[in-house]
Amino acid sequence: MTGLKILAGIACAFAFITLPYWANQGVMFLAGLALIEIIFALAWNLLFGFTGLASFGHAAFFAIGAYLTGYVLKAAIGIPFLLLILASGLAGAVVAAITGLVLLRRTTGIHLAIFTLALAEVLRLFIGYSTALGREDGLASIPRPVLELGFTTIQITSGNAYYWFICVMALVLGGLLWVICHGPFGRVLVSIRQDPERTAFMGVNVRGYRLTAFILSGGFSATAGSLYAPWAQIVTPETGHWIHSTQPMLAALLGGAHSFWGPVIGTLVFSVINYLTRNLIGLSEVVIGVVLLVIVLAAPNGIVGLIKMIRRRFFSTPGSSPAGTRS
Amino acid sequence: MSTILEVSDVHKSYGSLKVIKGVTFEVAKGDTFAIIGPNGAGKTTMFKVITGEVKRDSGTIRYKGEDVSDKTEFERVRLGMGRTFQVARTYPDVTVLDNIVVAIEVRRAARNENAPHWYNVSLRADIVAEAEEHLRDLGLSDKRDMEARFLSHGDKKRLELGLALAGMPEVLMLDEPTAGMSPQDRHATTELILRLREEKKMTVVITEHDMDVIFELASRILVLNHGEALAVGTIEEIRANPLVQDVYLGKEMYSAEG
Repeated sequence: MTGLKILAGIACAFAFITLPYWANQGVMFLAGLALIEIIFALAWNLLFGFTGLASFGHAAFFAIGAYLTGYVLKAAIGIPFLLLILASGLAGAVVAAITGLVLLRRTTGIHLAIFTLALAEVLRLFIGYSTALGREDGLASIPRPVLELGFTTIQITSGNAYYWFICVMALVLGGLLWVICHGPFGRVLVSIRQDPERTAFMGVNVRGYRLTAFILSGGFSATAGSLYAPWAQIVTPETGHWIHSTQPMLAALLGGAHSFWGPVIGTLVFSVINYLTRNLIGLSEVVIGVVLLVIVLAAPNGIVGLIKMIRRRFFSTPGSSPAGTRS
Repeated sequence: MSTILEVSDVHKSYGSLKVIKGVTFEVAKGDTFAIIGPNGAGKTTMFKVITGEVKRDSGTIRYKGEDVSDKTEFERVRLGMGRTFQVARTYPDVTVLDNIVVAIEVRRAARNENAPHWYNVSLRADIVAEAEEHLRDLGLSDKRDMEARFLSHGDKKRLELGLALAGMPEVLMLDEPTAGMSPQDRHATTELILRLREEKKMTVVITEHDMDVIFELASRILVLNHGEALAVGTIEEIRANPLVQDVYLGKEMYSAEG
């Protein structure tokens, strides 16, 4: 089974990397968007699926990264692009640290969800009123940057080049998140999700771990936003809209929130549905709604949970795969 | 013997309801100290005040001479106070082994004992070996790869005991360790606690309804009644105490009611 999984992973990676050779510009744009949304969904799920905290305002972090990168690129200040991505991630992390320090003192559960939603909407309205950030029109015609690696410079100004850059970044960021989720730190997070009180009585500073997870999640979300700005070449307040906050949630629920790969699968499925229903205006929401309904009713643990269930039933492997820690 | 836990003049109220009214007692190192009393006597609150789950209104709790009254629960655990819950709390979604592994990794990180780093993705062999040793101790070796939610009630209780023990506590606090168990399981658990206490040289603080378990395990007993300490002493002293006989033992000693 692990062999099959690795094979699927390689096939998927191959499809993404060779995509510019066999697909049109529109598909390539959606694929790049999907990779960015995958990072965003993974970052959100670090908080939800692993730590057990639901943020309903994560688009705010995404918007912070997107606007910072978009603004700096437009202003042509000359900051190296990799440094700009890092700065965007740090900006998201700092905002997460400040809000997390205040919110996570007492609130978890539904209160945290509502507070994050409200704060994100405040940020979006603020952006909408800010002339420097283009008000409701946002920042348009953002130039794609040049990658300065010290020993060489790579032009990623063309669509294809920037697409490959996204592929590499998705691999790096996704890999980093995978390591965080599967090491001792991730195991403590999964423990906190399952039973925070029990975990505190093992000697874990639960609040500290939750805050760290919140900061990491905010940082990675902002990094995803940072990659988005030069790809879409336009950043509007919609990136910070609560509807965008629901995207990683739906992806995680569809794919399976207790598995690392759940949000990845969920995002890909959503992207495919969006693409297939692109000409049926209004129908894509209906299809997504029906798919979600079926998944939630038939497989509360998402697609990954469904696969595990089928595997258990037909290949009768005993209940030995630890959900959450490995997948 | 030296005192390891010192509770002096502790008060606790929930609103206008006074639950603990100035309780004072000491637990000596190596004791198995039982807190008993009729329902509503304040046993559970007393227990929670010691673990840090509930903050006392006034009075002090000292652990090894250090005032821990204002310390959080996780700080007290790091000092060496482990506990179990009345209803066993384990991690249902992960395997029995992974339950123990987390407990070991957390302890090692807190005590700087060769803990794995955040990027150590695969389980380290020495940690797995330590976890397997714990599982052997608990008699759970054959359930190593089972997700904890599939365990029986008794096995869950044992696994939870393992979670506490993996933290290598000096004082182990057991909140009704045999609650809801069958007579066989109850006996097995009592035996296990006796054996582990001997092997690990732990001090044990226990609340329990079952008087047979108390008389088998405890070396000293605190009897609470309406939030006050009615008596503290050895089993013989408690049994002979007319006050205790009057309010508690005489009436409820053999009642099966929990």
